[in-house]
Amino acid sequence: MIEAIRTALIVGCVLAALFFTLVSTAGVLRLPDIYTRAHTASQADTLGAGFGLAAVALSLGWETATVKTVLLLFFIFITNPTAAHAISRAADEQGIEPWRPDDDRSDLRLYRDSQENGHIADGGISADTAGDEERQPPEDGGTNR
Amino acid sequence: MSDNSILVPVSESTTLRQTVEYATRLAPAEDGPGRVRFIYLHPPEAAGDRQQADSSGDGEPTNGDTPELLNRVCVWAREDSDELSESITIETSQIGRDQYLFGPEDIAEALDAETEEHGIGRIVLDPEYDPGIGVPSLRPLQVELRRVCDVDVEEAPVTAPARRSPIEFGGTALQTGAIFGVSFLFYQTLAGTFELFDLVTGTVSATMVAVGLSQITLSRNPTAGSIFTLLRALVYLPYLLWEIVKTNVQVSAAILHPRLPIDPRMTRITPMVWGGLPLTILANSITLTPGTMTVRVEGRSLKVHTLLPASRDGLFDGGLERGVRFVFFGRSAMRIPSLRERRSYEILNPATDGIEESSSPENRQPQGGAGE
Amino acid sequence: MSTVFPETGDLVTDVFLVGAALFVLLAVALLYRAVKGPSTQDRVLAVNVLGTNTVVVLAFLGVGLGESSLLDIALVYALLNFLMAVAISKFTVERGGVL
Repeated sequence: MIEAIRTALIVGCVLAALFFTLVSTAGVLRLPDIYTRAHTASQADTLGAGFGLAAVALSLGWETATVKTVLLLFFIFITNPTAAHAISRAADEQGIEPWRPDDDRSDLRLYRDSQENGHIADGGISADTAGDEERQPPEDGGTNR
Repeated sequence: MSDNSILVPVSESTTLRQTVEYATRLAPAEDGPGRVRFIYLHPPEAAGDRQQADSSGDGEPTNGDTPELLNRVCVWAREDSDELSESITIETSQIGRDQYLFGPEDIAEALDAETEEHGIGRIVLDPEYDPGIGVPSLRPLQVELRRVCDVDVEEAPVTAPARRSPIEFGGTALQTGAIFGVSFLFYQTLAGTFELFDLVTGTVSATMVAVGLSQITLSRNPTAGSIFTLLRALVYLPYLLWEIVKTNVQVSAAILHPRLPIDPRMTRITPMVWGGLPLTILANSITLTPGTMTVRVEGRSLKVHTLLPASRDGLFDGGLERGVRFVFFGRSAMRIPSLRERRSYEILNPATDGIEESSSPENRQPQGGAGE
Repeated sequence: MSTVFPETGDLVTDVFLVGAALFVLLAVALLYRAVKGPSTQDRVLAVNVLGTNTVVVLAFLGVGLGESSLLDIALVYALLNFLMAVAISKFTVERGGVL
């Protein structure tokens, strides 16, 4: 009986992990600019990883490996938001403007604008992805208002 | 303006005496009477403690040991100028009491404001200057000063006792002990077994960590209060987890919604939270809670990017802020009004039609699919 | 140790292995953002999320295949992932400032 409950819990956790990771992947692919993408990267993904590692810990039971899993979980919960903060702060320092609903510029446009405004010369490691003009803003992202 | 007015940031250091002498000699070198202004920066921890102490009453903050150092510096400077039989003006000031100076950037900006306000043409730095922000920071401070200020910045040529190595060895016994204990436990946890080999290697590496890093990891001695803080953090953690799950569902609904009903805005909030660690915890909590993400920390105010009107409202209601206050300052600090009641928030890029929608619940437009 | 942890039944093992496979699929989808960018930060972000996924995949495989040493690898990977994100963010702001 207890075994069955535990199995159910584990399956539930794995499903939740998959769901939230799916959300974060969808967010990173769909959302219109770097700041909004950083949201899902730091949060939905952290929760997804949290559920996944919780499932692992549940299935291991009382072992030293479980302690490691819990440590790993804790570590991810501290470092993931910090990394997202560092990334978005870097974007802010480069002068990339946050996208707004009443703004129809694409993320590429926002990025180019920040380069032209001379916030930082030769800012990115990457050269502009030449040849993909005006990518459409991710599926009617601007229809909010 | 004139080159013979000098700003000298002071702190307790072994080369302070020589720096004062150098600055005093430098001041009257050119035309006109010289002017030396000594400035003391309150370290963040002290600023936090003081704010916390008088947050109930708005009286003038009581002075700690600061004027003592400034007085001493003044006496030295007078001695030196008497020796030179030149007349110089000696001024003192203190900053950082009401603002939280977070790192070299903040300090440089504060010093720059000071030079502009008082028309100062030159900054002399003590090579051992330590504004008390916890890390060896003279080099980054110099770099920042050169970037921010348009006045000369120079280092006083002192015959210094040997420069300290980049890693500062030797915290107090308590610091070293605490770090040793924690890292030894961590090592044994990862090892999983208590064999002789693990015990020996664990002791060796924990000793290395404790000796090398104790001063960096803990800036102050752990006290009995730290334990209570830790216990209160255990209360805060489930609350934070609940907030994360709750808002995550909200945001997930918006992201998976086919029309992507998001309304991202950059906002700035000024939470009533003081000190490096509490502010870090708050900023990280805000980032962990979906829909809100800390982009920058500028002094005590946070630049927060918000994804949905609902998450914006949650942020301004200040639940997390209250929680962090509870962890670090105890139950009584929870009664401070929320960000909304204090009106210490603003939206940095409101909609262009000028209507500040969505900042308060009364006039918020209904948002489809925001998961409310 | 290469034995399956005794308590876990076949069902749980399968769940973890299938879960790991799906996680890998999501990681592949994330590569789109890493390639497209457009800004360096977008790429770093995508790779950071990808790294978190990898950590979960490693942990899942650790249970599914009964290799507990994979957990140690996951721990180190999480550390490196964090370092990567912070270091590149810092690097893009002030080139040569850190690296």
